[in-house]
Amino acid sequence: MKVIEIKDLYKSYHDTEVEVKAVNGINLIFEEGEFSAIVGPSGSGKTTLLNVIGGLDAPSSGSVIIDGTDISTLSSRQMIDFRLHNIGFVFQAYNLIPVLTAKENAEFIMQLQKKSRAERDARIAELFAAIGIQGKENIRPNRLSGGQQQRVAVARALASKPKFILADEPTANLDSKSTANLLDIMRKLNEDENITFIFSTHDQRVIDRAKRVILLDDGKVTKDTKTK
Amino acid sequence: MKQNDHTIFKISWRNIWRNRLRSSIIILAVTIGIFGGLVSTGIMKGMVMGLINNSLENQTSHIQIHNKQFVENNEVGFLMNKTDKLLSKISKEPAVKSVCERTKTFGMASTASKSAGIMVNGIDPVREKTVTGIWKKIVKGGGTYFESNKRNRIVISEKLAKKLKARIKSKIVITFQDYDGNLTGASFKVEGIYRTQNSMFDKQNVFVRKTDLDKLLNMPSHSAHEIAIVLKNYKQTGAEVERIKRLTPDYLVQGWPEIDPYLQVSASMVDFMLYIFMLIILIALGFAIVNTMLMVILERTKELGMIMAIGMNKFKVFKMIFYETTLLGIIGALVGIVISAAFTLYFGRYGIDISIVGKGFEAMGYGTVMKPYLELTDYFQVLIMVIITGLIASVFPTIRALKMKPVEAIRD
Repeated sequence: MKVIEIKDLYKSYHDTEVEVKAVNGINLIFEEGEFSAIVGPSGSGKTTLLNVIGGLDAPSSGSVIIDGTDISTLSSRQMIDFRLHNIGFVFQAYNLIPVLTAKENAEFIMQLQKKSRAERDARIAELFAAIGIQGKENIRPNRLSGGQQQRVAVARALASKPKFILADEPTANLDSKSTANLLDIMRKLNEDENITFIFSTHDQRVIDRAKRVILLDDGKVTKDTKTK
Repeated sequence: MKQNDHTIFKISWRNIWRNRLRSSIIILAVTIGIFGGLVSTGIMKGMVMGLINNSLENQTSHIQIHNKQFVENNEVGFLMNKTDKLLSKISKEPAVKSVCERTKTFGMASTASKSAGIMVNGIDPVREKTVTGIWKKIVKGGGTYFESNKRNRIVISEKLAKKLKARIKSKIVITFQDYDGNLTGASFKVEGIYRTQNSMFDKQNVFVRKTDLDKLLNMPSHSAHEIAIVLKNYKQTGAEVERIKRLTPDYLVQGWPEIDPYLQVSASMVDFMLYIFMLIILIALGFAIVNTMLMVILERTKELGMIMAIGMNKFKVFKMIFYETTLLGIIGALVGIVISAAFTLYFGRYGIDISIVGKGFEAMGYGTVMKPYLELTDYFQVLIMVIITGLIASVFPTIRALKMKPVEAIRD
């Protein structure tokens, strides 16, 4: 089942007088349950593509259709609401809210979605067990390791059961052990719960575990391989 | 509070304490500002309330009735007749606490060495005691307030006594025009010496028995120049004036705001001053809060970008900044209010003696002991003003925050 369909996608920047084509005519389809890595050298357009898919950036032309909705037709207000209910984000720098505990961070999106306390508690308990950070619920991010913080960020992204997770360089700030742990967790969630993950990454360890690797260069897909 | 709001509020509250020093400084600034504004207003309000209370208690009462021409000319002939019936009717009014009548005339008081122009108030001491508080103002060692039943006794002020070099039992000759226009006079023995907080009033007013004065003036029986009324509740003045006007259509019935518009203006002015004071203070504090919040927004660019990226809408972002901004103000305001309330309650009870620097105040009727006074509504008004300031002060930082593009904010 198609989750994301990208058609003739272009995204240009005019940073200086020179036009930079960050995304240059991409056509892609992501199916439900994929565990895909978008890879490529710096400046190849990975993050821009992820931002456009996530509705954080508008395309210059082309369309991104998520579960039947062309997100380029949504107003800014509708887009915020769409992101809230459909897309999970995992950022390179974790970006947890420092004044909230691990549990409060993880359930933050569910609260924005007005989910009941019982629903939240059940989901967070389930997720914290899955990502292996039980007992850290009431600890604030500054007292968690980088790996633990990123796991909380994954829990936050998954809590609301989004259609897919966009993870931008999620392992860039983690050591090998934490990276391996995090990838194990995400892969398990992908396999057990059929959650779709799309990574933008340089990290070979992520690439090695991906089921599909999309190579970008100069804003174009140069290779699209299904590995497993 | 909705669960959603509760989370936003929780984040705002905890955000305040992320930089304790910075937040404490701004809260302290608000506390000092609110304390300064409230206490200054409280002192002014206390002085004005003192002036009003003194004036109502010793001079104007709540309502006065005169012959209209007497108010214009102050001549003895312009009197009110059948005042016994009038007093009886007025006494029956449910809102009326007490009532008295007075004979009034200008005169000249003289002793062997000095003389002074005065207003002679002919009173019935028993009734007068229920209306004015002069009897409570007899100074220590200053005799009594018409306790003796002897004729031609006079109660004068300490100021006048000094001026005339008179003491208890001194004789004062008072000359005035009688009802028929003839110059007449009599000798009065000083029985009491009083002192109010209004030296202007003290210099002018002497009190004698109405029966003595009426005889000297040849006044017709059951007549008077002034009827003074004290109500059970001064707030009923306006309504009661209208009722009494219907009872005495021939005479001029005036409430205290009309008799002494200065009192009314002072009361309104001091309420207005609270707004002006607080407005100036809050504008200054508002700028300080805006500055702090702009720094906060700058520091949290990435965080704000993230929460907008994951789906927090603009209104919720505004609420988050509004709560934080307003809470900074409200915490400071509450501390300021508590300190101000404690200050006002303590000094409102025991007073602040300003006699060393405040002699001029006494001449204007304010007294030399300041007793700050604030009503509960004053505190609420200040709190509401602080919340409005928070709302206004949060607009600019919110605009700055909402102008951020999540994608750029996260990258920063």
